[in-house]
Amino acid sequence: MKQAKKLLEEVGIEGDRVEMYNMGASDAPLFAAAVNEMTERARTLGPNPLKKRG
Amino acid sequence: MIVGERKPFDEIKEMVQDHKKIMILGCGTCVAVCMAGGEKEVELLAAQMRLAAKLDGKNVEVMEDTVTRQCDREYIEPILEKARECDAVISMACGVGVQLLSDLIEEIPVYPALNTRFIGTNEVEGVWLERCMMCGDCVLGKTGGICPIAMCAKGLVNGPCGGTNKGKCEVSNEKDCAWTLIYRRLEKQGKLDNIREIFPPKKYGLHVNPIRQVNEAYLHAEMEEHHG
Repeated sequence: MKQAKKLLEEVGIEGDRVEMYNMGASDAPLFAAAVNEMTERARTLGPNPLKKRG
Repeated sequence: MIVGERKPFDEIKEMVQDHKKIMILGCGTCVAVCMAGGEKEVELLAAQMRLAAKLDGKNVEVMEDTVTRQCDREYIEPILEKARECDAVISMACGVGVQLLSDLIEEIPVYPALNTRFIGTNEVEGVWLERCMMCGDCVLGKTGGICPIAMCAKGLVNGPCGGTNKGKCEVSNEKDCAWTLIYRRLEKQGKLDNIREIFPPKKYGLHVNPIRQVNEAYLHAEMEEHHG
């Protein structure tokens, strides 16, 4: 995951846009928390720079 | 194996900035094993190139391929036609592969994606160590199979020097003292007397670029076949 973030950052895309979470299939609260975190990150970072030019 | 390291992305991007159709060609031998220029690394670089082009609002077509060995004509020839359809090729091979490919498609520029560093071994997963400097005058038979040219920071053929420090080198505590390693190995082989031998200065004249090697027996047999 560290490497994937580095590869993205080399190109000019924030590494924070990608993340890996480990959770069990029955861990609904964990899943919801992860989704909320990623949503928050996306809001802070703004639109995907690739889509802006889309 | 030949150990290479991928260049920084910005350097690669800058080299090919004027090209619109690019082929990224990997090499499936040494640089694939050292995780720098094999099929997987081709995919990663291609993905980065496509993302970067899109970010820059450029229309760049990136093709991917990997051959078994870029230092052999027979392996490159099958992809030449495809390479000629491109404006440029980024080679993920060592410097030898880059040059042979460029010799074969002279009109298309070939850019190196790697820095070719040394020939060495895989120490542990993800770590490589230089083991041979290709001096052309091998002393391994006398030094217990450990090369003092490559492994000693000073390349001393008569060691150890005064900088040996409990098995490490004065240059860095992370480097083993090559001559301590040699001593221990010769001890195991019952050949410690080897270390008393004073080696003459190395024949550095043997390494005059570019070196060409000829197998006379092969050439002779070839000639006989053709001329009876």
